[in-house]
Amino acid sequence: MKRLVPLVLCFIFGIVMIITQFSPHPYSKRVYEEVVSGALIISPFALVLATITLIQTHATRIRRRADHWPYSYIVFAGLITMVIIGVPLGPKDPVFEWLYNNVQVPMDATMFSLLAFFIASAAYRAFRARTTEATLLLVTALIVMLGNVPVGDLIWNTIMSWTPWADQASAAREWVLDNPNLSARRGIILGVSLGVISQSVRIILGIERSYLGGGD
Amino acid sequence: MEVFGIWVAAFLTLCIYSFLYRDNPLYRFAEHLFVGISVGYGIVLSIHEGFIPLAWNPIWASLTGESLAGLWKLIPIAFGLLFFARLSPRHTWLIRYPIAILIGFGAGIAIPNMLRANIFEQTRGTVAPFGAIYAGTLTPWEIFGAILMVVGVVCTLTYFYFSVEHRGPVKWLSKIGICFLMIGFGSAFGNTVMGRVTLLIQRVDFLLIDWLGSIGALF
Repeated sequence: MKRLVPLVLCFIFGIVMIITQFSPHPYSKRVYEEVVSGALIISPFALVLATITLIQTHATRIRRRADHWPYSYIVFAGLITMVIIGVPLGPKDPVFEWLYNNVQVPMDATMFSLLAFFIASAAYRAFRARTTEATLLLVTALIVMLGNVPVGDLIWNTIMSWTPWADQASAAREWVLDNPNLSARRGIILGVSLGVISQSVRIILGIERSYLGGGD
Repeated sequence: MEVFGIWVAAFLTLCIYSFLYRDNPLYRFAEHLFVGISVGYGIVLSIHEGFIPLAWNPIWASLTGESLAGLWKLIPIAFGLLFFARLSPRHTWLIRYPIAILIGFGAGIAIPNMLRANIFEQTRGTVAPFGAIYAGTLTPWEIFGAILMVVGVVCTLTYFYFSVEHRGPVKWLSKIGICFLMIGFGSAFGNTVMGRVTLLIQRVDFLLIDWLGSIGALF
């Protein structure tokens, strides 16, 4: 009951999803749409559970006076504000949109832009051309970056003025992206896809059971 | 309200950039606010764009007598509610039911999609130029690119092929595969750097033009 029923459910839903995608019958399409809709209904409950876990974690931090515990109140403030405004009034509400545009979007963009600084220091360590592989990494990254910006054209033209490839920074970038880069990506995609398929077959057949966790 | 929004966004932007100096209370404030706001936003979206149109509206239509088909939606809701069994130590095992359904659903949907989009299409894209070579429509440079593509894909796959020992020809194919992988990682790194720098420029542009401009507008 505790392990067999989940394995059977996993098998049924997996097989149904495979069959319905290969069958063009209208009844099959209807089943496919219903199962997709059902999965989309179940998923938000997982998000709510994750939120409860987040609240428990921060409540524990406050209770135990852990390091930086007062900031847990800030998490609650942000969460409660968005939920109180957004759930009853909807995401199109002007106040909710204001919060999204002036609080979430700027912080999101700034957090990611912060990585520009750290990536620069990581680049210094990674790009020291000590081996053939590191040199390839360095040269490719430089070509891609130079081909992306106008100042890159200027630098490229200055360096390559004596070669037949002068004024070709963007073309060089495109060639690198469309040929050697794409072939490596295709190799990775093919390998990953074969892995995903074999793992999916193992899950559907009940060979891979780690998602059930431990215990009975 | 618009100017106030610009000031709030500028304050939060500067709070996060203060981390470049070192970890400090302003950064921690912004970081925790970001977590709370993002989670709240995710909940609101999943309710209004997932639960309400897919579950609540059909059930409401059933309750008002429009269509009884909506009552079927009670089944996924019941399975979804089993997620909360996690909160009761005695009934934690019940969470396996919705997880098993979602895992089975994901595995079942992945197999045909991976086969179609990632195996067949990528293989077709790799060998398709050889048809054009046969038809004589490619330039010598494009033919070189098509051959390079096949060599790159084969060598990259060889690098990830662990069923045979990497010795002799396999070792050399694998070494060439590493070179292609490095070019791929270099390209990904270059694109990531450019993406992050673009975001940085956009934020600095916001601070210099919008925020400092709003100070001028106040007077």
